[in-house]
Amino acid sequence: MTELTPDQVQALAAAAGLPLHDGDLAEVTHRLNAFVDVLGALAAIDLAAAEPAPAAPPDPGPAPR
Amino acid sequence: MTADLAYRTATDLAGLIRARTVSPVEVVQAYLARIDRWDGTLRAYVTVCRERALDEARAAEQALGHGAPVGPLHGVPFAVKDQFDTAGIRTTSGSRLHADRVPAEDATVVARLRAAGGILLGKLNLTEFALGGTLTYPFGQPRNPWDQTRETGGSSSGSGIAAAAALAAATLGEDTGGSVRSPASWCGAVGLRPTWGLVPRAGCVPVAWSMDAPGPLTRSVEDAALLLSIIAGPDGRDRWLQPARTDPRADLERGAGGLSIGVVTALVNSPDTDAEVRGAVRAAAETLRGLGGRVEDVDLPLLPIAGAVFMALADGEAAAWHHPTLAARGADYDPGTRRRLVTAALLPATLAQQAARARAAIRAQVWDALARYDVLLAPTGPTAAPPIAAAQAPIVSRAEAGRRFFNRRSYTTPASLAGVPALSLPCGFTVGGLPIGLQLIGRRFDEATLLRAARAYERATDWRARRPPLPG
Repeated sequence: MTELTPDQVQALAAAAGLPLHDGDLAEVTHRLNAFVDVLGALAAIDLAAAEPAPAAPPDPGPAPR
Repeated sequence: MTADLAYRTATDLAGLIRARTVSPVEVVQAYLARIDRWDGTLRAYVTVCRERALDEARAAEQALGHGAPVGPLHGVPFAVKDQFDTAGIRTTSGSRLHADRVPAEDATVVARLRAAGGILLGKLNLTEFALGGTLTYPFGQPRNPWDQTRETGGSSSGSGIAAAAALAAATLGEDTGGSVRSPASWCGAVGLRPTWGLVPRAGCVPVAWSMDAPGPLTRSVEDAALLLSIIAGPDGRDRWLQPARTDPRADLERGAGGLSIGVVTALVNSPDTDAEVRGAVRAAAETLRGLGGRVEDVDLPLLPIAGAVFMALADGEAAAWHHPTLAARGADYDPGTRRRLVTAALLPATLAQQAARARAAIRAQVWDALARYDVLLAPTGPTAAPPIAAAQAPIVSRAEAGRRFFNRRSYTTPASLAGVPALSLPCGFTVGGLPIGLQLIGRRFDEATLLRAARAYERATDWRARRPPLPG
């Protein structure tokens, strides 16, 4: 995935109905691009057998009251 | 005299109170005196329940006089992170948004500590909504008792301070990605993250449902085991809870002989790990070897990405919980919290799914290692407590964002992603006098072995005897 620009982040936030205040846009853009760097690199790791699932016990108890 | 009494462990105090060597009133007064003396600076507490605690102490004293049966914490003052609901006492979650929120009932864990005879001394400071990165704390900047210009670690900041500085006999925090272990490490306390699914979350304001784990911060391993024995087990309100399979105190004094211990080289040898931290952790491994443990290096190559994987997943869960409030009252959040939540809310779904798959792979590595070793050993964090000012500087690049937010979290989040228990305890001090934390990671629902290893190390060293430089 390529680098997100501040304009793109602004548009995404507006579409999600989330406010950006003074100083937010630059930092959120840096944070999102840091995620893109690290998580994008996961494509190089073989995760084919890694089934996403929560770390929950296999035998949940009865439904909560 | 007040300090000597206050620095006693909760286990010691419970014994002294039961034997009527000290009175609960005397003990509560000792902690209130220390809070009066130090909390204006350290800011461990959001709310101090002064009169209520004294009333309960007098009642506890009367109960002893009448020979009534008493619980294991009878008359012992404890304090809890202000993320746990307390009936009739405001629960702020460290946020202006909840500044006036007063729950109607206690969180399960609070109710259990009170039912065991404990006296609630107050509610403890935290990063906003138990997310890290708060820039301006509405209830005061928490300060490290060893150096007040330094961070305390979070999110259970006040719990770490109060445990280390003897502002309570024992405390409770909540650990999603290291929120018990990090403040324990930086403040010089013992912090236990239990197995996910062992301790009830009812009445705990959530961070990330799939990783939240309430746990104790204390001045001894024995106290951590005692508190866990009280708070663990199903409460009928959380379907994922399972009963403890053993008493966490069962093997506490068995020593380290025969334990197999894997040293996590990906974290110990990481270039992010300070040399002093690496040296202290390697020395701790040698101490455990000297006690009869079989110590070997273990390679878990995915762990360095755990911090980013954790933030993609846990922050996404948090963003979902906060979304309506964030959309309506975004300006009322601290900017650090708001930026973190907005980032998570905007993360592309494909990347979040990649993170979920990476979590499964990290969990498999941790579980496979724990099939070969009784416990894993690593630093709790790459450094001792950094300056407060460093965390408040603006983020000016994506590389810096990665360094600031992902790297250090890779030390504590593997246990969170894998759902296994982990504990931090002091294993040395920097030349500047700051505590260094040793992290031990155990098998699911095998807190007894984890605590056994920790207790063996604690007993063989004298780090616990050091006190922060707080005269009086």
